[in-house]
Amino acid sequence: MTAGAHDRGAEARSGYAPLRAYAPIGDGRCVALVADDGAIDWLAWPDLDSASVFAAVLDHAAGGSCRVAPTVPFAVTRRYLTGTNVLETTYATETGTARVVDAMTFRGRRLGPGRELQRRVHGVTGSVPMAWRVQPRFGYGQDATRLGWRSGIPVATAGSVALAVRTFGAGTPQLEAGAVGGSFATAAGSRTTLALCGAHQEPLVFPTLAELDERFAHTVASWRTWTATRTYDGPWRPEVLRSALALKLLVYAPSGAVAAAATTSLPEQVGGGRNWDYRYCWIRDAAFTLNALLRLGCAPEAEAYFWWLLQATQLTHPRLQPLYRLDGGSSLRERNVALAGYRGSRPVRVGNAAAAQQQLDTYGELLQCAWLYAGSGGRIDAEVGHRLGEVADLVCTLWRQPDAGIWEVRSEPLHFTHSKMMCWVALERAGQLADRGLLPHGHRGRWRREADACRDYIETHCYSGSLAAYARSAGSEDLDASVLLGLLSGYGSSGGNRWVTTVDAIRRGLGNGPYVYRYTGGDGLPGTEGAFVSCSFWLAEALARTGRPAQAAALMDELVALANDVGIYAEEIDPRTGAFLGNLPQGLSHLALISAATAIAEAGPQ
Amino acid sequence: MSLLAALAGGFAGTLVLTTVLRAATELHLTRMDLPFLLGTALTRERTAAKALGYAAHFLVGLTFAVGYHALFAVVGRHDWWLGALFGLVHGLFAGTVLINVLLPLVHPRMGNPMDDATSVALLEAPGFLGRNYGPQTATVTLVAHVLYGIVVAAFLGQTR
Repeated sequence: MTAGAHDRGAEARSGYAPLRAYAPIGDGRCVALVADDGAIDWLAWPDLDSASVFAAVLDHAAGGSCRVAPTVPFAVTRRYLTGTNVLETTYATETGTARVVDAMTFRGRRLGPGRELQRRVHGVTGSVPMAWRVQPRFGYGQDATRLGWRSGIPVATAGSVALAVRTFGAGTPQLEAGAVGGSFATAAGSRTTLALCGAHQEPLVFPTLAELDERFAHTVASWRTWTATRTYDGPWRPEVLRSALALKLLVYAPSGAVAAAATTSLPEQVGGGRNWDYRYCWIRDAAFTLNALLRLGCAPEAEAYFWWLLQATQLTHPRLQPLYRLDGGSSLRERNVALAGYRGSRPVRVGNAAAAQQQLDTYGELLQCAWLYAGSGGRIDAEVGHRLGEVADLVCTLWRQPDAGIWEVRSEPLHFTHSKMMCWVALERAGQLADRGLLPHGHRGRWRREADACRDYIETHCYSGSLAAYARSAGSEDLDASVLLGLLSGYGSSGGNRWVTTVDAIRRGLGNGPYVYRYTGGDGLPGTEGAFVSCSFWLAEALARTGRPAQAAALMDELVALANDVGIYAEEIDPRTGAFLGNLPQGLSHLALISAATAIAEAGPQ
Repeated sequence: MSLLAALAGGFAGTLVLTTVLRAATELHLTRMDLPFLLGTALTRERTAAKALGYAAHFLVGLTFAVGYHALFAVVGRHDWWLGALFGLVHGLFAGTVLINVLLPLVHPRMGNPMDDATSVALLEAPGFLGRNYGPQTATVTLVAHVLYGIVVAAFLGQTR
């Protein structure tokens, strides 16, 4: 339970909620972040990578938000309705208790708005004075937002985007200072509904209360149906299922792409400049994503993701960009927008310049994906096999080059160990797929020779005797947790001494309790960062794969306790304070949790 | 100006259009693949989709040629530049309405902006003027359709 107050600005939050206070809700197209004080401080609309309509998390004064909360001090508890991404927040006050249930609804059969966010307030006990305020600020707070009335309903518009605020039992809406708001009091058993109805390049639809109720019920039932068909039945099941639901929020339904996170520019260091837009699909997450989807029994999503991967990469074939837009586009021009940034963390970026980098690990991810997909019974036809063969041919010429690595350093390219390992994975998987007749046989010998040469390079230049570990890059004495992905992807013998000592060295050199930092050494950027959540899960999985399942399970128990109150992870955590850092919900963190849990379960008794 | 000539022009025009689009794909200008888009409406097998898609694409090309023939007859001339103009309008209509709005709504495996987490799309929608398939897609498809119009007009002979 968290103690709260009705006025965020008057307390220590200084206008900004801690990132740990946010819970995501979504519908497969866009994601909103709901703070534990009742404010929706982030919503990009109509799509996950669109410009924001609410961005108070990036600028509490100009970003816009939608708040429904008691007007008196309260204590708050939250949970997702079982098996859903529908959030329930309970406010206990001195005069009574009220519940707010938030959902982005699915369209159902009736005519409904293009996008719909419902906030439903239930009186539980006594009476609770409530206030609501919707302050839309389109275009990252930069577009002129016009507020007016249509048929007695408050409507905000900017260009081709419109937002209607439909209310039932929420008092008389008032327009004031660029916002619409109202107040009401709950009573035991009372119901109030507030719906944000969005339209993009189409007329607004104003739903009735009965239609809102029907769509809400349909949404809850649909989420539960989806969750009930997940097949995982191992340890940490609640956490794995919550991670699956969080991941499903990041699956962009119109294309099948999976976004790395739902937000942009939530800082890796508060007040710093390590603020990036993660609302795109990274190839580095591809194998993890496909593997997780397959292990959870999400075969349709896995197939859609593999198809998307093949389509998106066609434009740059046989080269791969590190990331692509959710609609499959390859242009991701990075620019700064004029928002103040979370607690002054500037710049706020839109787009991502990493798209232009060379990251060799992506080739391994793609071939690993194809290997996993084929292994699950997926069909790789002759044309796809031919294309994958051309990718493998390219790896034969690229693997000797330096690159920016998985962490997208903005310093000089290096011969990163993880990148080399993934090149080996690419060539090895190409050979294995050719053995099964799924890739052309012609170049199989060359792929095998180059794979051997790549392995020799890694073992000769990337292993440090003094560290007793695979180092960050060739000739380096720095550590990098990403090399654990080599182990997880099948490079070398997992029981071999080099992997055992590498896992130990990373735990010793980059670990801090359950936390694990990404690397030692520079990256061309000023400032510091927190511990990287997915690295901790990779370590847990690596411990299991190197024959230490009990240690892995113990670490896993510590890690699942680091999530926020509703089971969500950001990209990083500050080990000193436990504060979340970076974008959220972070797909890689949840993917790594799923992968670690399933690997530890497969490793045997703990 | 005979219907048979229009059909022959439609076949040749579709041949040119398809070749231009395929060449543009090989040159990494676009990921637009009309036969694949049409074929996957009939099957999820990629290879079969391509084969079926080419057949469907040529049928569509012949159908449009009949439409061109009717328009030429109404206007009373069939100059190459008029064919180019029809092709331009045809290309714009295809990019803004046919593949941008209608195709995602009727294609059983293509995502559309109204899809939510209850559905799973196998194919990304082309978007306005096909720009989801690459920034040069609009230019390439317009050029291909203009060439199609010119070829159809050319098969109908000189305006007397």
